This record gives sequence, C-alpha cells and structure tokens, in this order.
Amino acid sequence: MKARDLALVLLLFVVGAVIGYFAAGPGKVTTVTTTVTTTVVQTATPTITTPTVTMRTPADTLIIAMDTSDAVSLDPARAYEFTSCFVTNQLYDKLVDFELPNLIDVKPEVAERWEVSPDGMTWTFYIRKGIKFASGNPLTADDVVYSLQRVVKLKQTAYSVLEPFLKTPDQIEKIDDYTIRIKLNKTVAPSFFLSVLTFTTSSIVDKKVVEAHEKDGDMGSAWLDDHSAGSGPFVLEKWDRESQFVLRANPYYWKPGQPYVKTIIIKHVAEPTDQLLLIQKGDADVATDLTPDQIKQLEGQPGIYIVRAERLHNVYIGMNVAVKPLDKEEVRDAIRYCIDYDGIVNGILKGAAIKWQTVIPKGLLGANPKTPYYKDVNKAKELLAKAGYPNGFTIELTTPPTYPQIDIATKIQADLAECGITVNIVQMTASMMYEKYRKQGLQMVLAGWGSDYPDPDSNAMAFANYRIRQLAWRNSWYDDYAADLAEKASIEMDTKKREQMYLNLTDYILDHGPYVMLYQTVAQQAVRDYVKNWLPDPTFYYLDLSKVRKG
Amino acid sequence: MDLRTYIIRRLGLMVFVLFGILVITFIVSHVIPADPIGAILGPQASPELVEKIRREWGFDKPLHEQFFDYIYKVIRGDLGRSIKTNNPVMEDLLYFFPATIELATAAIIVAIVIGIPLGIISAVKKDKWPDHISRIFALMGVSMPVFWLGLLLLFVLYYKLGIFPGPGRLDPGIPEPPRITGLLTLDSLLTGNFEAFINTLWHLALPSFVLGYYASASIARITRTALLEVLTQDFIKAARSKGLAERVVLFRHALRNALIPTTTVIGMAYGSLLEGAILTETIFAWPGLGRYSTGAFLSVDFMAVMGSTLLIALVYSLANLIVDILYAFLDPRIRYA
Repeated sequence: MKARDLALVLLLFVVGAVIGYFAAGPGKVTTVTTTVTTTVVQTATPTITTPTVTMRTPADTLIIAMDTSDAVSLDPARAYEFTSCFVTNQLYDKLVDFELPNLIDVKPEVAERWEVSPDGMTWTFYIRKGIKFASGNPLTADDVVYSLQRVVKLKQTAYSVLEPFLKTPDQIEKIDDYTIRIKLNKTVAPSFFLSVLTFTTSSIVDKKVVEAHEKDGDMGSAWLDDHSAGSGPFVLEKWDRESQFVLRANPYYWKPGQPYVKTIIIKHVAEPTDQLLLIQKGDADVATDLTPDQIKQLEGQPGIYIVRAERLHNVYIGMNVAVKPLDKEEVRDAIRYCIDYDGIVNGILKGAAIKWQTVIPKGLLGANPKTPYYKDVNKAKELLAKAGYPNGFTIELTTPPTYPQIDIATKIQADLAECGITVNIVQMTASMMYEKYRKQGLQMVLAGWGSDYPDPDSNAMAFANYRIRQLAWRNSWYDDYAADLAEKASIEMDTKKREQMYLNLTDYILDHGPYVMLYQTVAQQAVRDYVKNWLPDPTFYYLDLSKVRKG
Repeated sequence: MDLRTYIIRRLGLMVFVLFGILVITFIVSHVIPADPIGAILGPQASPELVEKIRREWGFDKPLHEQFFDYIYKVIRGDLGRSIKTNNPVMEDLLYFFPATIELATAAIIVAIVIGIPLGIISAVKKDKWPDHISRIFALMGVSMPVFWLGLLLLFVLYYKLGIFPGPGRLDPGIPEPPRITGLLTLDSLLTGNFEAFINTLWHLALPSFVLGYYASASIARITRTALLEVLTQDFIKAARSKGLAERVVLFRHALRNALIPTTTVIGMAYGSLLEGAILTETIFAWPGLGRYSTGAFLSVDFMAVMGSTLLIALVYSLANLIVDILYAFLDPRIRYA
C-alpha cells in the first residue's frame, strides 16, 4: 500500500509540474522552479523559442485555420452563416460591392453604373461587358436576372435579406443583354438598397451551368451547396465537410493579375488551441478564432501580427416589458445602472469587445457613440425605490451555455445582486432559446444581433419596430414613436437627414428601450507577417481574398 | 441451439432494440421545445419565412404523422434529410463514419497492444514494482482528460519537436486519394499512393494513441484480474506440477481462459470508440461521426440525430453480438441458448 501511495504522490508531482510548465507557456520556463519540473522540461523540450520565421506553407497557397462548423450551404440563395458567406464571397461577383475598409461608398462590380428613379423604387443596372464565368461563359443580363429571380423563387434562408423589397420574380427584368431593371415594392433609401445588394445573396450565378444541374425543380440548389458556378476570383474545388474548403484561382477572372494566390485552403479547426499551434508553427497563415488570452500571448511575437475589426455585432440584454417589474422604465434604467460595463469588456472579453450602448453599431451611418450608463449602485437603488421596488425583485436571465455568454451572465448576476435584484440564470442551447424568444417567452435574455449588411436599417428596425416582430416585439415593447421613426428613416432619400433620424432614434431607445446594450464585438485574427492585405472586416464577408498576397 | 440459429435469433432481437431506440429518440428529439429551423435561420429571420421553411420540412404536420412517415422511410433505407447539410442522412453517415472507423480501429489496436501485455505483467508480478508501474500507467490513462493529453502531445510532439504532424487526416500538400471506402489508409493503398498512405498513418498516430491509451487502462486491469483468478485454479496447479515451463502454463493455459472477460471489455471499448470520440475528433480536426452527431444534437437536426443514434445503436448491438460469438472460439465449452 505504501509503495502505491508513494507512487501516486510522485505521479501527481510529475503531472502537476508538466501542467505548470505548459500553463506558463513558451518562453517562461524560468518561472517554474521545482526540481521535478526542471527534469521534465529538459527531457521533453530542449528548445523553447518560437520556430524561426520561414514560410512553411507553399508561396502560392493561403492556408486559413478557421472554425467552419457553422457552414450549411454555399448556394448564394442559402448561404447565411459566417463561414458560408465568407467562402461564397470568394466564388461570386455581385452587382455592386464594398471595398474594405470603406463601408459607406458602394463600388461597381458586375454593374459598371446604375440609375435610380426619383421615388427610389426603380433601379437600372448597366452590366460590365467582358466578364466571364469560370466555365468560360460570358456573363450577361440573363444571368443577373436568373440569379436574383432564383433567390426570390427558392425562398431559402438567405432570402430574408431581399424579402422586404422583392416579393415576386417579375420585379426583376431584362432590358437588353447588358441592362436590367429592378422594381422595388416600396420606396427605399438608395444607400440602403445598394448596401443590401452587397450581401452574398445577390451573387451572380452562371445560368447555363446551374440549369444543367437542376434536379426536381430545385434550380440547382443541391448541387450549388458544395459546388460553385460564379465569376469570382476563385472556384470551389471541393468542400470536405468538417474538414476543409479548397479554392482554386479562376482562370477567367476579369480583374487583371488577380487573384495573387492560386490556392486557398480553409482548414476546419474547431479547437482554438489547435489554431494557436498551427499559426505559431507556421502551418497556417491565418488563424481566425483565437481566444483573447491566446491573442495576448501572440502579441509581439516575431512573424505574427494581429488584425482587429469592430464587428457589426452587438451583444445586449433584452428585458421583456410584459414581465413585471420590467414594464417600469425606472426599473429598466436601474438595471442599466447596476452593470459594470468596463468589467465585462476588459475583464471578461479582454480586447474582444468595445463598450457600445446604442443599437446601431460603430461604423455605420447614424452610429451614436454615447455611453451614458455606468455602474452606480446608489443611483440604481434610488430608481428601484422610486419604482416601488426598494427591496429589489427576482428575475430570470436566459443565456446559451457557451463562452463568453456564461461568464457574462454570471457577472451580471453578481452586479445586479449588489442592487438587490436576484437573477436566476437559465441556460439553453441557442436553438431552444430562440424558439422561446420568438414567442415572447423569456424574461431577460442575453443575446446578440449582427447586421447582415452595412446599413443601419436592419438594426434600427429590429430594435425599434415591433411591427416586424423582431427584437422590439420579442421584448413586448410596443412603442409607436420608435416604430414610426425607424420606418421613416428607412425610406428617407436624403442621407444627411436619414443619419439625424437614426441619431434621434438611438437616443430615444437608450432612455426608453427594453435593452441593456453591453458591447460591440471585436474580431481578432492572427496573421503571419508575410501575408499582405488581410484587412480588418467588420462583417466577415467583404474580405476579398483575391487581393491577399504572400511574401 | 447451433450457432447459426443463435445469430439469427439475436439479429431478430436487434430489430426490436433498434425500433425501441428509434421511438425513444424520435419522441425525445421532437418534444423538446427547440426549433431547428429557427436555429438555422438565426435571430433575423421573419416569422413568415420560418413558417414557410418549417412547412417545407414537414414539421407542421402532427407528430404521429411525422413519426409514421419517418418509420416508413427508414424501412426503405432512407434516413431522411439533414436540415443542416441538406443531404440525405444516410449519405452523411457514409461520409463521416469511415473516418471514425479508421480512428477507432487504430485506437483499439493500440489499446490491445498496450493493455494486454500490461495486464499480464501486472498479474505475474503481482504487488511488485512492475505491477505498481502498470497500475499508475493505467490510472493515468483513465484519469487524464483526453483533450488535455491530446493537446499536450500536439504541443510537444508537433509544435515543439515537429516529429508528428498537426491536426487533420492528411498534410495539405498531399493530394487525397480518390474516395473508395472513405478509409484513407485503405484508399491510398488501393490506389498505390504510398506517400498518402504513410502520411495518413503518421496523422493517425497521435489521436489513436490518445484514444487507445484511454481504452488500454480497462483492458489492462481486467486482464490482470482475470489472469490472477485463473492462476489460482486447480488446472494451473496440475499443469505446473506436470513440470510445464511457466511460459507455457501462462500463455497456453492461463491466458486463453483469462481472455474471455478481456474480450468483452475490448468489444465494448471498440463499440464506444465507434460512436465517435468528440473531444479527440475536435482536437485532431478529425471529420468523424462524433463531430457530425454532436453538431446535429446542438442544432436539433432531428433526422441527423435519429440517424446517428440508430447507427451507434446498430454498431453497439453488433459489437455485443460479435463478442458473444467470440466466446465460443475462446472457450469451446460455451454453448448458446
């Protein structure tokens, strides 16, 4: 027995020492002092520095380590997740596009110019001549009309982007071989509609190729799930699900000299630690899903730089106004004064977020930089007393069981407890949570909202307009002033006036709305130094890999 | 009862088991208040679009109707379509399962190669230091979290020393052999692509060691226990007193009898390895059944959940059956009833 105990103790020592060494991370060996450790270190790892900076990956191949588990389909009519849109954007051209880092001025792509009628309802696009698809077929008005009609006819996931303006296929028509006309069903601010057209849903597919792969009237959808038929800089060679995407340069691509790299491999690496090892070793050129701590660890390391982008994504707490006492504005204000915003942004998210308290994210038209709320327990208690709840109350906060939501929910629980409010955290997978949320079935919810395209409309409408049954409705906030203002702003033809309307709206929601806006997400990606032109992308699907160079 | 009748009867029973599992998973996956369509469409989607797509998938029908539709399809070998991948579930399973078979098989080989010798040494040198070392080794195997061991091995053997390749089944530079069985080792051999074959084996090494090491612990312990028990029996005494060499006593007489419980453990371990090891598959970026089924569970992809559960149940039942049949070869006295 004694021998066994002794052995066990010894074992614990060794294991502990090994953990200690690796937890300390590379380059910090000297901080570990016990003798056992030293032996382990010496035998296991004679070298500690990061491997020297040489390009281990082929010069004409870009290897990206990314968690791609969200990917569903690469058919532009269905692609609606981060990964799917990111990949689809490399395979297709759109009528118009944004060129990073500018997300305000739309640039011509397939359409070389366009006209809009004074009422903002009829659009004419003139198509650039000489563009060829990867099949060698010329791109004409037929393809454009087919592509947009296809989205409307199929009514799949990504249709929700175009749904507000395009209800029937006949709204899109061909004028001649290089001109098309789109008639919207309502007046829409021009910058808004153009912005929507930059989303991957409006990608132009090769009509002939897609029709050749049609099966049971699916307009080639099943085939397009994992094949490409576009005029973009790359062609999809294959998609091994849960493993990798392989993209090859399109020989017919119309922009001279591009793409600069001939092959792109997007490796599915779900585990952040793996991504860290791959980028440090140089077996991946880019790692997109590192944790804040890992980013800190990489900062200042030779051979790697960090690209940061403020994402069009806000994280908020929704407070269902139908649940007492959240119906009282003082109570909602009190909650906003209980929360330690800086603690969440700096303590939990450590650089992966910025404090942002209005409903239109930084970077968009009408973004309102005010941050009037801060932690002030006394003020919060006063407000609670004024509302008739001097002793606080008990409320549920629902959150998905994932990082960092759990940590944030726990922090909020602690913060609100200081004000006398008892929070019960309810964990649910996202699919269960949204099912309940859609039916107004939650009390308080920790959730996020991302813009599909860089226009304030999707945020303004969701957060302000209960009539479209999105966030305002889900939190039972039936406020006609906010709803009317959001609707008016979306059809305002004058951009300056439109901006002012959004500033007014965000101010109003800041005071009266059913939300605690916690922060705006910041994406942090690690890139090897020989990779050029990997630009910060607030959306993830404007990054044009045809401009990325190596060496 | 002869072996053939026995197997037929067992297979018949298996149909009932599988049907029961189908019913249970169907009920569980359909009564939980989650919305797969909503999960895929995300928070932005309008209620009309959610409704429209839900109708398309037939989720608006009454539950019993959905159930009978499903059973009818399963009988014809159609497991439905995955909401997430939009592929027939059968196709998805055929795509993901081979990677898991490959990993599980390599892992069980590692487990046997480590576990049985360790068990024998432990039993022969009972309570002496080889026994203690083997016990510690086994203890580490079961108590070290696989994700931790996996990351540790990757850190040391891939990142620091560069002896083994990083996560994945194949280096990015090496063209994948054409898909025949889906087992990269076999496919590369069949197509005479030795570079890919060697590379695949290299990539298999770390994940199969991690999984195999974990499974070897129970194999070692059960081999030790069984062998110790057999070694105390009269026929061993008889064999020894006959003057047989200890080696012969041990390997020809004792071990064969001790292997029966070991076989059970190996069979069950292989069964559970074939379920797909989600953590190991995640760390080694291995596109196997574990990742597929976990993804399906998280997105409440009904059809994929039921399909993979059915496959796992089938694999388990078959592993069980094969173990039972193996008993007869190890011990001819065993009769089936």
